[in-house]
Amino acid sequence: MGSKRFSLVEFSVDHPRLIVALTIIITLVFMTQFPKIKIDTNPKNMLPATSDVRVWNDAVDKNFGLYEDMIVVGMVNEKGILNKESLARVQRITDEILRLKGVAARDVNSFPTITNVTAENGTLNVAPLMTEAPKNDGEIAALRKMLYDNPLFMNRIISKDGKTTAIYVPLEKGSNGKEVADKIREIVKKEKGDEKYYVAGDPVARDTFGAEMFKLMAVFAPIAGMVMLLVRYIMFRDLFLSVTLMMDAMISIVWSMGLLIALGFPVHIMSSMAPVFLMAIATDSIHIFNEFYFRFREKKDKRVAIIETMQAVSRPVRYTALATAAGFAVLLFMNIVPVRVFGGLIAFGTVILRVLSFSFIPAMFTFVNEGKIAKIAQAEDIESSRTSQFLKKLAGLGIHNPKATVLVGLLLFVIASVGISKTVVNNNMVGWFKKNSDIRVADTVMNQSLGGTSLGYVVALSKEEDFIKTPGAMRYIEGLQRHLEKLPVVGKTTSVVDYVKRINRVIHDDDPAYDKVPDTKEMIGQYLFLFSMSAKPSDLDNVVDYPFKKANIWVQLKTWDARAMGKVIEAVSEYQKANPIPMEFKPAGIAYFNLVWNHEVLWDMVKGFVLALIVVLAILALDFRSVKWAIVGYTPLLFTIFLIYGVIGYTGKDFDMPISVLSCLSLGMAVDFAIHFVSRFRQRLAEVKASEGKAPNEAAVADALLWTAARPGKGIMRNAVLFAASFAVMIFAPLTPYITVGAFIVSMMLLSAVMTIIYLPALITLLQKTLLKEA
Amino acid sequence: MVPDGKNKKACISLVIMVVFLLMSGVFEARAITPNEVMKKSQGAFLYQGKDFKARVMMKLISKGGQERVRELTMLRKNSGEVGGNQKYFIYFYQPADVKDMTFMVYKYQGKDADRWLYVPAINMVRRIAARDKYSSFVGSDFTYEDVSGRNLEDDTHALVKEEKVGGKDCYVVKSTPKVQDVDYSYKLSWIDKTNFLPLKEEYYDRRGELYKLFSADEVKEVKSIPTVTKRTMKNLQSGHRTEVSYSKVDYNIGIEDSLFSERYLKQPPKRWIK
Repeated sequence: MGSKRFSLVEFSVDHPRLIVALTIIITLVFMTQFPKIKIDTNPKNMLPATSDVRVWNDAVDKNFGLYEDMIVVGMVNEKGILNKESLARVQRITDEILRLKGVAARDVNSFPTITNVTAENGTLNVAPLMTEAPKNDGEIAALRKMLYDNPLFMNRIISKDGKTTAIYVPLEKGSNGKEVADKIREIVKKEKGDEKYYVAGDPVARDTFGAEMFKLMAVFAPIAGMVMLLVRYIMFRDLFLSVTLMMDAMISIVWSMGLLIALGFPVHIMSSMAPVFLMAIATDSIHIFNEFYFRFREKKDKRVAIIETMQAVSRPVRYTALATAAGFAVLLFMNIVPVRVFGGLIAFGTVILRVLSFSFIPAMFTFVNEGKIAKIAQAEDIESSRTSQFLKKLAGLGIHNPKATVLVGLLLFVIASVGISKTVVNNNMVGWFKKNSDIRVADTVMNQSLGGTSLGYVVALSKEEDFIKTPGAMRYIEGLQRHLEKLPVVGKTTSVVDYVKRINRVIHDDDPAYDKVPDTKEMIGQYLFLFSMSAKPSDLDNVVDYPFKKANIWVQLKTWDARAMGKVIEAVSEYQKANPIPMEFKPAGIAYFNLVWNHEVLWDMVKGFVLALIVVLAILALDFRSVKWAIVGYTPLLFTIFLIYGVIGYTGKDFDMPISVLSCLSLGMAVDFAIHFVSRFRQRLAEVKASEGKAPNEAAVADALLWTAARPGKGIMRNAVLFAASFAVMIFAPLTPYITVGAFIVSMMLLSAVMTIIYLPALITLLQKTLLKEA
Repeated sequence: MVPDGKNKKACISLVIMVVFLLMSGVFEARAITPNEVMKKSQGAFLYQGKDFKARVMMKLISKGGQERVRELTMLRKNSGEVGGNQKYFIYFYQPADVKDMTFMVYKYQGKDADRWLYVPAINMVRRIAARDKYSSFVGSDFTYEDVSGRNLEDDTHALVKEEKVGGKDCYVVKSTPKVQDVDYSYKLSWIDKTNFLPLKEEYYDRRGELYKLFSADEVKEVKSIPTVTKRTMKNLQSGHRTEVSYSKVDYNIGIEDSLFSERYLKQPPKRWIK
């Protein structure tokens, strides 16, 4: 295998023009696929339409005539909303929203459209709350009375303090929440007044996030690329070679994305991150450059330097590629399709990167001006280079105080473990926006004053027709509602019981004594019929099914935390255990979807990550032909991961989607450093052994470790710095997951590089007897 | 002389009359106004006979195929000409838990109707206020206005074309509300040229999209009055539809005015509701 690779390098060096031309042609072929790109910005599609939760939610939506997505438009007037001007605005805005495409106009709920049941002079009145905006104080007073008398309205369309109202805008299937939200923002912008407007709801956050993510990727990937180019130029002082290194990444990105598109996969939010990941993985080729400069300085012959460089680094470069590719390939066996696609995409890209390392890069080296390299290469001396000297000192820490180093490490490890045990697995899409972003502010304001923008359902299922109409079932549901409302995350619940109680009271001339579940099934049946005679069909459909076997309890949550719905589910089963009844209760709705999404997607990633860790360990063992060396080489990676997740645990930051994606990147990168370090160290040791003809003593081992830290170590450090520098840009992104990604990568790279340089020498020094005997 | 002259005069007047009649016939066939079409249609569809009785079966069918049934006897009495006041008496058979419930409507020209409902479970008659133009009729896809007719003066009517529906020649009339007081921005009606029954209606929402579709699915003659005995109203946006079929249809059976009273709401006479 080694000689075959070797010949590819020689072939490339001998026919550089052919190799470059071929690479460009293949790249152009893949580029032709780009116009066919299909983009899917909806994170919801991470779970396929056939997944259990989506099938169940669709069935519930169909059964109760519900909508998957709802936008909530909040309107706040600090002086109170119940005045002529504000109410006229509510009417105008609602009217315009009803005309928007994508809005399920028939079921928009707002003052002018929401059904109200009242009793007036012995007449039962079922009509929209506000058919016309009030013209005088008398009409305003009447409206105020109707609002505050009907508990169905409280915290739904009016806040207790009367300052906030809301317009609930359900969306037709397939319409884009961001587009509708943008149009609503245009509508409210036309109104001149003291009112403030807030557009909230999951579809807004979801679609905005998806769109922003793609935009950011389009902006960020080139910026990261430019920073990388700049840092490389500073490191190697040769524009041509820096561009070559960059091209290496770009070519693999074009090939992999081209293949993805050609195969007909839509670009999901996950695969949209592939370019950045590949750029990151491509930085591994910096080791080739690093070594090339050292070799050129020694040999003064370009061709020899290239071939020797490739000989020296071929094994580590091949194995880092193998480890990375295998780590991502593991994702191919996960459940979530976009996770699989992502894994396959990166694994493919990684393989391409390595093929390029052995063909395109050596070919490009042949075009470099020798005189220029010679000048730059002068700086690449481990005795005079400041970086090398610093790295030697760093490694010295581990070599000279191995026990102390290992102890400090163990201590940190234990502390980190405690932090990890505190990790909270949670996901909150609204939380992905910054605190002062429109979406986050809207959500906070609405959740403070009204029942909550996140909607979950609890579906009561009985086996008998008309069971829901029995007073027993009604009282049970009522009890459950009161139980759920005790949870701090629950803002309001609504069910068929609320309508029945309302009608019972109104039909008895608004007598508060009748504000309860009626005594017989006949009464309940007839009240509901009476209500259905004049209300909007959806009013009842939304809360009971046709044969009255199922009831749907609406649970408005004050947070988009996936955990909140988990608490509701717990409370339901708690109540059920305490009060048995022949009914089943099942959660549904967008809040439930988010819970499942969180669980499935996140755990799929975690599962994949753990599997990848095992695979990487196996590859290390294979590469080093030794389990012991594999474990030693594994420690910097494990250490880095533990420390970072420990910090996340301590800071109380949720372990969410972006962080779980990053875990995979960490294994792709951190292990590379160990592979380079251990491989080169053992090569060096073998060289020493060969030249001196005897097994190296302790001093020789220490020397070899220092050499490794200073020379391939410089490559490791360069890799880490290059990486950290370009990803630090992300810290300025407007979406918090990007900030997390930026901070995470910067700390991960620096940590794992430092760990490799300090910790590996310490461990090797300490364990040299066992390790070297075997070797 | 006198008889001759009389004859002559009679002859002339007869000729004039025939010519006039012929002319007016031609005139009418060519240039019937859209308002006349709609007026005739309302008469043929909602005001046939002095009174009317039918057993009505309504199936409310959701997008997912779930069904709700409303079975009732409907009695109607006209008090004047087409477009004038009417009284309705409705007795429910189904759903089972509303058996014996009765419902009475006094329909007026130009203002919302009065309605009374008898709720047997609490033995009480309650007046109910609703808005004819929007409110659904017993939870169906028909509004009260669809069932009892809209004031023709509230719309401007225009004859847009003539077209065949199911092999029958129809006028197609576009009715646009003068004031936006209904859910639709305009309605197209296909009116049978021979019997003036509406065979098809399309309702367009405020965005100009077709959202509700009416079709007369079966027309039968009862006492030689053409009657729509099967009809469907479908909401294209929600996917919900209502299928209605009439049986035991009868006209001019002599329903007394006294039936339409609170007393009979509580105890409807058997012979009328059967």
